[in-house]
Formats: sequence, C-alpha cells, structure tokens
Amino acid sequence: MNRPAERDLIAMAGIAASGLALASLLSSSSARVRPPRWRLAAPGRNRSSNPETVKAARRLNRAAGTLAASVLADSSVEHYRGSFKNKAMYTPLLVSALTLATSLHGTADMRPLAHKARDATYLLAAATGLVGSGFHLYNVGKRVGGFSWQNVFYGAPIGAPMAILLSGLLGFCSERVREAHRTRPRIFRLPAGRAIAAVTGAGLLGTTGEAGLLHFRGAYHNPFMLLPVTLPPIGAALLMSAAGGGPGRTHRFTRWWMRLLTGMGFAGVGFHAYGVSRNMGGWRNWSQNILNGPPLPAPPSFAGLALAGLAALGLMKAHPDA
Amino acid sequence: MMQLHAGATAVSDDPLHAPRACDGRAPDVFRPGGWVPMRQYRESEPVDFAIVGTGAGGGTLACKLAEYGFSVVAFDAGPYFRPLEDFASDESEQTKLYWTDDRIVDGDNPLQLGSNNSGKAVGGSTVHFAMVSLRFRPEWFKSRSMLGYGADWPLDWHEMWSYYAEIEQALKIAGPVTYPWGPPRPRYPYRAHPLNGAARALAKGCEALGIKWTETPLATLSAPRGLARPCVYRGFCVTGCSTNAKQSALVTWIPRAIAAGAEIRDLAMVGRVEVESSGLVSGVHYHRDGRWRFQRARNVVVAGYAIETPRLLLNSATARFPNGLANSSGLVGKNLMTQSNQAVWGRLEQEVRSYKGPPSLAITEHWNYEDRGKDFFGGYSYMSQGPLPQLWANTLFNARGLWGNSLVEAMKDYNHVVGLKIVGEMLPQESNRVTLSEEVDQYGLRIPRITYSWCDNDKRLIDHSLKFMRRALEAVNATDIWIQDDDTCHLNGTARMGSDARSSVVDADCRSWDIPNLWICDGSVFPTVGGANPSLTIQAIACRTADRIRALARRGELEAGSARPSIHRCSIEVQRL
Ligand SMILES: Cc1cc2nc3c(=O)[nH]c(=O)nc-3n(C[C@H](O)[C@H](O)[C@H](O)COP(=O)(O)OP(=O)(O)OC[C@H]3O[C@@H](n4cnc5c(N)ncnc54)[C@H](O)[C@@H]3O)c2cc1C
Ligand code: SF4
Repeated sequence: MNRPAERDLIAMAGIAASGLALASLLSSSSARVRPPRWRLAAPGRNRSSNPETVKAARRLNRAAGTLAASVLADSSVEHYRGSFKNKAMYTPLLVSALTLATSLHGTADMRPLAHKARDATYLLAAATGLVGSGFHLYNVGKRVGGFSWQNVFYGAPIGAPMAILLSGLLGFCSERVREAHRTRPRIFRLPAGRAIAAVTGAGLLGTTGEAGLLHFRGAYHNPFMLLPVTLPPIGAALLMSAAGGGPGRTHRFTRWWMRLLTGMGFAGVGFHAYGVSRNMGGWRNWSQNILNGPPLPAPPSFAGLALAGLAALGLMKAHPDA
Repeated sequence: MMQLHAGATAVSDDPLHAPRACDGRAPDVFRPGGWVPMRQYRESEPVDFAIVGTGAGGGTLACKLAEYGFSVVAFDAGPYFRPLEDFASDESEQTKLYWTDDRIVDGDNPLQLGSNNSGKAVGGSTVHFAMVSLRFRPEWFKSRSMLGYGADWPLDWHEMWSYYAEIEQALKIAGPVTYPWGPPRPRYPYRAHPLNGAARALAKGCEALGIKWTETPLATLSAPRGLARPCVYRGFCVTGCSTNAKQSALVTWIPRAIAAGAEIRDLAMVGRVEVESSGLVSGVHYHRDGRWRFQRARNVVVAGYAIETPRLLLNSATARFPNGLANSSGLVGKNLMTQSNQAVWGRLEQEVRSYKGPPSLAITEHWNYEDRGKDFFGGYSYMSQGPLPQLWANTLFNARGLWGNSLVEAMKDYNHVVGLKIVGEMLPQESNRVTLSEEVDQYGLRIPRITYSWCDNDKRLIDHSLKFMRRALEAVNATDIWIQDDDTCHLNGTARMGSDARSSVVDADCRSWDIPNLWICDGSVFPTVGGANPSLTIQAIACRTADRIRALARRGELEAGSARPSIHRCSIEVQRL
C-alpha cells in the first residue's frame, strides 16, 4: 500500500472511530450501565460508593470523551489535509483515540475508584495538548509575517490543541471526583465542582476565541456564525459565577444554558455541513470540500465543554461545598 | 423564478454566434441552464439610457441607473457567458474572452493587444481580469498640482474614498485586515486569501529589503456569497473563473441590473451614435442577429474601454461634428495610457507552484506611496505572479527566444519559477493615441490604429522597478534571474475628464462637454493612471456618475426630453441576489 492510501485510511478511521465512539458515549451515559467486566477495569474492592460522585465522574468522562472525539475527527481531517508532513502530526490522532477509549471506559465504569490507566491517559492527553499548542505556535511564528492575521488564519490553528488539553484536564478531574467517595470531592485542594466549573468556563472562552477567529476569517458571512461567539461566553460567565458563588444555589438557568450550548455544539455540525455544501461542487465533491469547508468536527467541542459544565453543576448540587 | 434546464434551450446554445439575452430572459449565471426574467424595451421608444459596453464602467452604471429607476438598455459586442458551463480549464479555449478583432498597432513601443488588456463579453474585461482591487493614492487625483506631473482630476479624493468603500462592499473584496498604505479605509468585507508560494516569496523579499507588503485586495470570494462559491485556488482567473468566485461585472452588477429592470443585449456591436439636427444624440446603431438596428435613447453612454470608446466617437462623425463626437478639444483618442507590466523572473530551489490560486496574492505599493529615492514621476506597485503553463511557454519564447529543446528544458522548471511584476504608471502624452485607419472590420467599421511610445520618464520608472525587483528576488536566493522588459497592461485615457472643456473631453460627471446627453463612463476618462490597477476606480467613477445623473435629473438638469427616473416596476417577478 502506498503512503497516500495509508493516510486516507488513517484519516477515515479517525473520523469513523470518533463518530462511533461519540454515539456510544452519548447513548451509554444516559442508559443505566452495568459494571463492566473489561480486562482494563481495575480489580476493585467493593466499597460502598457515593452514587453522586460516581455519576458526576462518569459525566465528566463523557465530556472528556466528547472533546476527544471532536479532536480525533478534527485532527484526522486537518492533519490529513496537511499530508502528515511531520511525523508528530500522528500524535493527536493516537492520543485522542486513546483518550476516547479511556473515556468510554470511564463512562461505563460504576466503581468509585480512580483508575491508573485512565489517569495516565488523561495526563498524556493534557501533555499532548500543551506540546501541540507549542508546535502550532512555532508553526505560525516561523511563517513569513510572523503572528499576523494571515498566519493565525491559515497557519496551524493555535487554539486547536487546547481541546485535547481540556479533555485531559476534565478526565483527570473525573478521576479525582470518582475517588472522593468519602471525603468531599477535591481537586488540588480546591472544591471539585467549582474547580471544574472554572476550568470549563475558561475552556468555553478559549473555544469561543478559536471560533471567533475562524468565523472572522469567514467574515461572519452567515449571521448564524455569531452564535458560537455569543452564547458560550455567557455560559462561561454563568459557570464562573457558579464557581465563585456560595453554596445552596440551584443554577437552574446555568444548567439550562449548558444544555443550550450542548445543542448548539451538535447543531454546529449541521451548519458546517451546510457550509461544506456551499463550496464548489457541494457534497458531490465531498472529498475536497470537507477539507476546504468549515470543519465538521469542530463545533462539538462546545458540547463537550457544556457537558462538563453540567457535570460540575451536578456535583455542586449533590455536594454543596464541592 | 423562471428556470429552464439545458434541454429547453438546446436549439442553438453557442453564445458566440446567437444572442442569449432575448425573449424576455437572460442567462442565470448562477444556475446551470437557468434563466432570469429580463425586461425588454422597444427600439422605437426612447429609453432613458443606452449604454455601450457592459464592463467595469458600463455594467456598473447600468446597474446603478436601473436601480435608480431609469430605463436602461446596455449593449455588448461580446457573448453572454455562463461561467459554470462555458469556461474550460484550457488557455486556448478561453481566448474566446478576448477582444481580438483587427486593430493596427504602431509607434516605438507598439502595444500587444488582446489577452492582457481587453475583453469582449457581457461583463467586459472583468470577466478575465486578475481581480486586483486597489484604491488610488489620494495625491494622484491632483498629480499636476501636488506631485508636479500629468493632469489633475476634477474629483476629490475624499469623495472617491466613499465610492471605493461602496464598490468594495458590492464586490465583497477580500483584503487584509489593515492596509499598510494611505489614509485609513474601512475594513474589507471579506478576509484575505491564503498566500501561495509566489506570494510568500514576495513577502520575504520585501521583509529582507525593509519595505512593507500585504495581501492583495482581490475581487474573489474568500467565503460563500449567495449562490457564488468561494475561490478554489486553481488559478485559472485570467482565463475566466468557472466557480463564480471572481466578482466580475458579469456575476455582480449585471444580475443586479437585470433584476432592477435593465435590458442587456449581447452580441450587439454598436457602430455609430446618432446625432440629431439639434446637436443632441438620439440613439445608437447596432449590429445584432445579422443586421443593423437602431435603438432610440434620450442619453447615450459610451463605455467600450479606452480603444473602442474613442473609436466609436470618431466613427460617429457627422457634418456637424466632422472630427467625431465630443471632440471639440481634439483630445478624443489622445493621451492613451497603458501601464507598464515588466517582470523579473527567477528560480527557487524549493517548489513554488506559483500558478496555484489567484495570480497576485501579495503586493507592495511601497513605490506608489514613497516619493524619496525616485528619479521619475509617478509610482508603481509590484505583485507576485502565477502564469499558466501556456502563457509561461509563450513568455519564455517571446522574451527569451527559447524554442525546441531549450524550451522543453525550461518548462521542466515551471514548478520552481518565481516572479515579480509591476503595474507602473505611464505618463499621458498626446502622441500616444487611437486614430481610425482606412481598413474596416467584419461589421464594415473603420478599425482603430493605436500608436504608442514610451517617454523617458516611463523608461526611468521601468528601470527603477526592474533593479528593485531584482534585488527582491536576490534577497530570497532566487537563481537564474532574468528580466522581461516589454510587457504592458490596462488601457486608460483617450477621453479624459477635466474641469475645462478645452483640455478635456468630459466633466467630472462623465458628461461630454460638447453634447449634453452624451456620456463616457469607463477607463477612457482617466487623466492619469497611477501605479494601481484601474478597475476599482472605474467602478467608483461609474457609481459616482449614477449618483450625479440622479441628482441632475431631480433638478431637471438633464437635457430637454431627457430622463427623469421613470418609476417603473418590473412586471415580472425578479430574483434579487
Ligand atoms: C488580463 C487582464 C487582467 C486585468 N487585471 C486587472 C486587475 O487585476 N485589476 C484591475 O483593476 N484591472 C484589471 N484589468 C483591467 C480591467 O479589467 C479593465 O480596466 C476594466 O475592465 C475596464 O473597464 P471598462 O468598462 O473601461 O471596459 P471593459 O471592462 O473592457 O468593458 C468594455 C466592454 O465594451 C464592449 N464594447 C466595446 N465597444 C463596443 C461597441 N462598439 N459596441 C458594443 N460593445 C462594445 C466590449 O465588448 C467590452 O465588453 C485587467 C484586464 C485584463 C485584460
Ligand atoms: S483561483 Fe479562484 S478566482 Fe481564480 S479562477 Fe479559480 S476559483 Fe476563480
């Protein structure tokens, strides 16, 4: 098999895997899940679990998985477009696939125990995000014109690797929440719910920044392109205020807003599909236009973050001091 | 909306031989086989405006006047193309876009006419232009009084600045977020396109020499717009864009004009403007469908570009106007200005693939705005280049004399070619001119003779630019550098505007001094050309002219019997874009 064909396969596999995984992630989490009997599962003593922390942890796994799915599909397409010129461009595919599998595992796992392999994977994902951002920054900076609009528009997207960083962080948080069955959930000594809400809020702002940049590149030619730069910052503000506020609040509006953002994230795929159709040849010319048009896998990263927001709010509801 | 599919129109669908805009409909350039309804006017009843030419000047004016409620018929000698269907990715086939009727050239530096300077199609030369959409440097509008050469325009740059903004919006120009030269301008409506290899080489060269560069503002879409697709970067722009990304008059002003009630007549060559005994013009004689016809009109606008416009005015001479229409100053046909288009070419070690994307994605206007260090008047910009293969082979043959094996060998390096080309200001000289020869063309009309010689200033400017561009290529380690010293582009002048009837042909409103209901609205009216591509300025002038005509009509200052916006509504349902 020649190399381009291999690349085609890798990219296709990446997209397919992320789609399938995302579907199962979203459906499995709503169903009641039996404790899995996978090999990977930690052999556990049967401790008395706190269902709320486990629930929140699984929701965080789901959020991390959604983000990882988005990254897997997005980096498959974009790095395929870049012909995997640099071997390192395979890394996010591998790592996000692993993160995705881990998150699936976590979503299905009912036990109140952190899992070493999951922890390791999530840390790896976070590290990949950091290193990837470095790579992308370097790529932009070395182009003629340096950090100019031209290069932030068309060079490696600076914000993109942040999504896998966020996925890793959320996954890491998930493990901390999960193991906190007796104590109050804490992350680095901070109340877990609030910490996650703050991280998620920051993530929403960062993702808004990226959407804003790329939609600016598209000159906001369609008014709907304003949605992902207006709704998420409000969500971020709501989450931040939840993180900073006192206990005992219900956050009904915030939760409602997070659901709205989740919906927006998935609806974004539809809008981007429409955007693809507006390129020369439309969907008949899919093999070119998926690469040219707006990235189909990008908008669900908003959904991933909003799901994390919901998990954090759930946790705060169950543990008012979390 | 009325829409028929190809089968319904198939009888004779050769746009070069049978007119398409008839029977109350015109081609829908956005839908294969589609049509849009088009209002039609009787020849016997005078329309408010008969416009000769539908390019940057005529197409724009037709649209604006129709939108202001005037009745408009616009004629074009060329075909009505459907870009989605008629344009092939084939340089030879696409020569059908050029004006290649017989013309005679002479002078010390005879112009090469055709591909690089004139189009013949509904939409005019904008159908195959390179889309570079620049504003003039403000001082150029007063180059005589402020810079000491050429002639002053009767226009104020502030006013032009606002018309530029209107055109940039209308064409969704894709340009840099901030423009490095000149007074502030509003943000371009669409973002700049990604640079290709050739553009990056220009940028690196500029940075090495310490001058500014930017992404070229281009009239091609970097995001979707209505039914027009964004650019696909295949680089066939100067042979006609088959995606409608290029915002030519054919896909912007013309559909708007038709929607507003204008009629377009394709394959309609105007041979003569008729003058009544009163001294006013009364209509145009035109050739369509194999015979001569006459359309009555209250006003005639000539917009055939800088060769055909004076030719038509000269060919319309009468006993009363023996030297041609609007020619009391004797200046019709004189002061023809082309722009210098010299290049420096070289080879880069890495692949450049300069033909990918629009040909001029990066530009520097440094020498348009910097007056120090020049031994000449005027300015020039230079841009990255992306010649298509056939053009490149021709260039190698014509400029370097390569043929046979040496040409084949040189073509193998095509992917490594890098080049910079100027658009340089040439000074107006009365001796550079369009006159009539005794020979006649296929319509029996006397063909133009075009006389052109560079003056010393032109030569000094070219010299300066070639030396500078050579340094820019050397700075990016190009090898085998060579100079193409004989190319020209864009035609202007020949019916200059001014504030004095003795020294100009039209006034600031593009109205001829001699005949109040005869107007000229195209590249011919430029008193000077500057070092920037002209189309944006031509369209800005057309928009201004339309506004002035409306204002004059409201004040009752159009000639007796002439138009007031006759409030008509298109009875047929019309699709707005
Ligand atoms: C290859 C090429 C690249 C170019 N690139 C650029 C660029 O990048 N940027 C830029 O600003 N400019 C560019 N130009 C120049 C630009 O296209 C012209 O300056 C502009 O279109 C001129 O506008 P106009 O209205 O004067 O004439 P045109 O647009 O040429 O329109 C004149 C029309 O009148 C018709 N006509 C003439 N005589 C008659 C008659 N007697 N009866 C009926 N119809 C008639 C012709 O068929 C033609 O369609 C380019 C031109 C060419 C050829
Ligand atoms: S490169 Fe863009 S503007 Fe040029 S012909 Fe292709 S699509 Fe049209």
